[in-house]
Amino acid sequence: MRPSQILLKSGRSAWKGPYFIPFQNLRDALTNHEPVKTQARSCTILPNFVGVRFLVHNGRDYTPVLVTQDMVGHKLGEFSITKKRFTFRCVIF
Amino acid sequence: MVHIAGINLPDNQVARFALTSIYGIGHHTAHRLCARLQVHDRCKVKDLSPFQITSLASFLSSPATAPPLPRYPLARPDYVPPPPTTPIHELQAGFNALQKKKKINNSDPLKNMKIEENIAHQRMIGSYVGRRHAMHLPVRGQNTQNNAKTAKKLNRLDRH
Repeated sequence: MRPSQILLKSGRSAWKGPYFIPFQNLRDALTNHEPVKTQARSCTILPNFVGVRFLVHNGRDYTPVLVTQDMVGHKLGEFSITKKRFTFRCVIF
Repeated sequence: MVHIAGINLPDNQVARFALTSIYGIGHHTAHRLCARLQVHDRCKVKDLSPFQITSLASFLSSPATAPPLPRYPLARPDYVPPPPTTPIHELQAGFNALQKKKKINNSDPLKNMKIEENIAHQRMIGSYVGRRHAMHLPVRGQNTQNNAKTAKKLNRLDRH
């Protein structure tokens, strides 16, 4: 099995490789435990992201995501929910 | 007149078509049955040998438990035979391993899909797909204001 196979579970063609953003401050973030603030929800989680804290944009604010080994191959956006839970609210004028 | 599975097959009909009068046997199945019993295409019912009739009846009474046909696969063009000095038990072991591998491939395709395992994985890492499964809601962006009945029925963490 080719190593890239894990990263290409989505329908993306193999010659392109996974889509990802080369974060500049990844090493600093790993050593200093600083979160990486990003809006790139479609960035694939690579094996070297493991252990890094991200702040992923969900359209409104940035939700914290701690990347673990099992998340490799998924997208950052999968872990930052965009939908608000519905609640009944009494409207008071 | 031949009596098989509670049906009288008329003597003068071609065997392949006469078989279709049995419930559950269409043209395709009848053709496969004839191939199994080595009945030729123009064979009439009256020309069937007694052995063929009995084996046909025994097959139709319990098709699931019928003994499988022996298969003699042809060698591929790129097949290289092992050297003649290899001992027989080595050959036998290799053949058995091959048969086992084939059997696994031919088994139920649903068994190899590991649906439950994949859902559990999604839930464990806390991804959107896993959350939607846990909430009994559609996973791939379908509407939930109405309907979504199938998802509400099926989307569970422990399916099946």
